[in-house]
Amino acid sequence: MRVVVAEDSVLLREGIVRLLSERGFEVVGQAADADELLRKVGAHKPDVVVADIRMPPTNTDDGLRAAIEIRERHPDTGVLVLSAYVEEAYAMELVSDTAERVGYLLKDRVADVDAFVEALRRVGEGGSALDPEVVSRLLGRARRNDPLAELTKREREVLELMAEGRSNVAIAEKLVVTERAVEKHVTSIFGKLNLTPAAEDHRRVLAVLTFLRS
Amino acid sequence: MTLSKRAVWALAVLGFACGIALVPGIATSDFAEDRGLWIALDLVIGFGFIGTGAFAWRRRPGNRVGALMMATGFAWYLSVAPLVDSAFLFTVGQATSNLFVATAIHLLLAFPSGRLEQPVDRLVVGVAYLATTVGALIPMLFLDPVALGCANCPDNLLLVDSNRSFFESWYDSLGVVGITVLLSTLAILVARWREASPPLRRIVGPVFAAGGLLMVGLAGLLAVSIAGAEWQATKTIFYATLIPFGLVPYLFLFSLVQARMLRGGAVGQLVATIGETAGSGDIRDALAVALNDPSVDLAYWLQASEKYVDVQGRRIELPDSEDETRAVYHVTLDGDRVGAIVHDPTVLEDPDLLEAVGGAAALALQREQLEAALRAKVGELEQSRTRMIRFGMAERRRLERDLHDGAQQRLVSLALDLRLAHDMVRRDPAQAEQVLEGAADELGQALEELRELARGIHPALLSDRGLDPAVETLAQRAPLPVEVEAKLGDRVPEPVELAAYFVVSEALTNVVKYAQASQARVRLERDNGLVLVEVADDGVGGAEPGRGSGLRGLADRIASLGGRFEVVSAPGSGTTVRASIPCE
Repeated sequence: MRVVVAEDSVLLREGIVRLLSERGFEVVGQAADADELLRKVGAHKPDVVVADIRMPPTNTDDGLRAAIEIRERHPDTGVLVLSAYVEEAYAMELVSDTAERVGYLLKDRVADVDAFVEALRRVGEGGSALDPEVVSRLLGRARRNDPLAELTKREREVLELMAEGRSNVAIAEKLVVTERAVEKHVTSIFGKLNLTPAAEDHRRVLAVLTFLRS
Repeated sequence: MTLSKRAVWALAVLGFACGIALVPGIATSDFAEDRGLWIALDLVIGFGFIGTGAFAWRRRPGNRVGALMMATGFAWYLSVAPLVDSAFLFTVGQATSNLFVATAIHLLLAFPSGRLEQPVDRLVVGVAYLATTVGALIPMLFLDPVALGCANCPDNLLLVDSNRSFFESWYDSLGVVGITVLLSTLAILVARWREASPPLRRIVGPVFAAGGLLMVGLAGLLAVSIAGAEWQATKTIFYATLIPFGLVPYLFLFSLVQARMLRGGAVGQLVATIGETAGSGDIRDALAVALNDPSVDLAYWLQASEKYVDVQGRRIELPDSEDETRAVYHVTLDGDRVGAIVHDPTVLEDPDLLEAVGGAAALALQREQLEAALRAKVGELEQSRTRMIRFGMAERRRLERDLHDGAQQRLVSLALDLRLAHDMVRRDPAQAEQVLEGAADELGQALEELRELARGIHPALLSDRGLDPAVETLAQRAPLPVEVEAKLGDRVPEPVELAAYFVVSEALTNVVKYAQASQARVRLERDNGLVLVEVADDGVGGAEPGRGSGLRGLADRIASLGGRFEVVSAPGSGTTVRASIPCE
């Protein structure tokens, strides 16, 4: 899988590059700011991009804006954004109207190499990866007449993993249950939340997110 | 001394009756000289003091001058009484014949306030009373009128032993005391006259002049009698001395009339003085002169903060109605409260004057009100700046502590873990792996803490995207439903954004901590160059903006941007925190 890594901190960027190379990714470009990222993406057409939100030139949310631009101009390139903070608003902006080929993770997650690599691969292959922290914030919002209150504890766990972008197989593995059991939970959740079931993982992420942000 | 008006009049009628009752006694006395003259003195002096005293007492019940005048009138009758052919009246009158001098001294030294202000006043008056009562009673035991050459005089009922030499030597000693008292009184009157302001001089002048002449005359009388002068000579001096004494009540009446006329002048002068006043505090002095009350204080009303301040802008409390030592006159201009004149209650005795002076001073007070408001503002700013600096330092200390106790400790233990793992990685790889896993957890928590810390200092979303989304996020993270109406749209200057953000953040924190609310509402909008922030909840209310550093710090932060901050929190009806910050 071909990757472009954009991160202004040289130390961290090289760490990520080394880590990805060791795990079999082909790092085709590195960028230290948003403009360079856009250029490299245009030149290399990678499968996936890893980009820090806070980057030069303005050191605010340049990385995020570049990521959104990439998603518009290169729909085949997956985008995984890293952020030092949990900002649901950024995640929502990034996802916008499709959760396909998109990810938003806390920077710290890089340290959990397996999970990070797995998430990147998922995004590169068309899926989504939402940070568990973001998901729990979205779920944790205080709501009036909260339909989430009707979910069982297990259903809630399934919902969280689903929102993170994981497949039924991955959820079953994580919760140590059968895939069949996960499917039943998913059906129940969609029923309780009055959502239309979706076949592809990224579509149901969007459905869940749309529900959660409303 | 306060008596009802009726009682004062009854006392006056009694006084007139006493004067009249003495007339036939004097007229038929077979030992008295100059009977016609004495009848005239009895009535003119007695009626003068009694009548004027009653008038003054009724007019100013709180002032002792009237009572002292009446007392002097009655004492005068006592000194006329020995002329009547009655052993009782002769004895009583002879024993107290000089009491009127003591009451006159008391009256003069207490004029015009009615109080003996200085210790020396009280000393002189006390000695005078002592000398004219006890001092005069003792020689009565040895006074035999017959031995003194008055064959027709009534008997002295107190006579124990006829001893002319003792009697005379006692009287000579008493005379020396008397001269001392009289001259002291004279000195005090002169000193008081010299200290008096021009308007005061015009009021006390005539009375003081007559009193001074009285003191000189009496002192001369005592001096010549000690020197052994003939009775005819001393009698002439005595009659001459009675002229200024008898004039005192009439001069007093005159000065009252003059004070009444002067009042117009005082107000006129006040207006003139106010026109010239430039510096703060001048009006107070002008009012003190006009009201003849050196204790006058001025309080300026600050509409904005609803409190009274002095001319320096320092907060003051008005004396309450219970306070008997101070009284308050409220000054208004076109129906607006301007301030208050805090004065001595005796000023109330002349309400017309107070009214006139208050009216004349209103405009000038309004001018000084602005000045006081400005000073108060400066004072508040200084205080809030100090608080801001303290608040800032406290924040830094808190940050330092959080960093030290949190991330730093974790990193230290992480360093140890790594060293440990490094040492054991060959010997015991399984153990090393466990240690490294712990280290990774530790690191994760350190990162988490740093993130929260950074958010508290300056939320990234706020600087990236502005108030609306940042406040949305705050609301979404609150553990209760918060309805947000954020309609700011465009970005506003960073300090305004930050201040508004922290208003919402702190207010929501308080809602969660104290309000026991079921929901809250946040409103953000721009109006007329102002950013309006409002956080309202449906909780228990009763929040005090002055308490706790959180709200206080917010108020200062807003104030430093020239904005307004208020907390409305009646118990039982929720809390609304409102801030408006200029943003242009």
